[in-house]
Amino acid sequence: MTEEHRLATELKGRAFSLFRRSLHIRTFDSGSCAVCESELRLLSSPYYDLHRLGFFFAPAPRHADLLLVTGPAVRAADTALTKTLEAVPEPRIVVAVGACALGGVFTEDELVHGRVDAVIPVDVYVPGCPPSPLALLHGLLVAVGRLEEKVQTLDFDLRSAKVSA
Amino acid sequence: MFWFLRGIRKGVVTTRYPAAPDPSAARLPTPPAFRVDLLTPDLADLLVAACPPGALRRRDGELLLDLGACTGCGACWEIGGAAVSPSGEFELATRDRDALVKPIRIGGAT
Repeated sequence: MTEEHRLATELKGRAFSLFRRSLHIRTFDSGSCAVCESELRLLSSPYYDLHRLGFFFAPAPRHADLLLVTGPAVRAADTALTKTLEAVPEPRIVVAVGACALGGVFTEDELVHGRVDAVIPVDVYVPGCPPSPLALLHGLLVAVGRLEEKVQTLDFDLRSAKVSA
Repeated sequence: MFWFLRGIRKGVVTTRYPAAPDPSAARLPTPPAFRVDLLTPDLADLLVAACPPGALRRRDGELLLDLGACTGCGACWEIGGAAVSPSGEFELATRDRDALVKPIRIGGAT
């Protein structure tokens, strides 16, 4: 490993550790039904109050640290999506939100890609249709490394104690 | 003019999540969990056919549950009876897309 490479990795790690305290989010709707947006909007309400955790919604991608993409990535939004991603300064995090963005609802055809990671690289996946504000908070905290991922430990077998039902 | 008094009387409404569990989490739509011993191959085929977003697939001897595709609609526990129930798990965010595909063993007899 060269000295430059080591310094770059160290700087990136330092930048990501700063994300743990304050992070600006830019949302991008790639053709969703707007229910994911409705849940995102609830995050700013007094009940969920995401500002207490240091998250803020940014008015433009150039102000953002994290790009949050909803919807099944319609092909008509390809240019807008790639340009938005380019406008978010490095280091950045990309989060795909909702069953559409994860490849659940729509299959690939001439109109949609059906999943966001077919167009841009995705760092964190948040399932749900729509993901509740609590699930979105969990996703954001996983994205900045403040919470551990839980899904690997679950087996969805009702007889084991690993499922809360 | 004294609307803020009304706010103060209500106290803090903000959730304590993630420091403490949120009381509303129990009512969220969540993916299914399975009683593996009650899950027969016939029932598994029915569930695969009934799943609207196609989150359930069959692989030999197993049912594959794609949590990323699941919409929590409840079609599976409508027809699954005691074998399928809501899991109550909503903290499913991950960096690994493949971790969201869960193999469910089909443990019931035909």
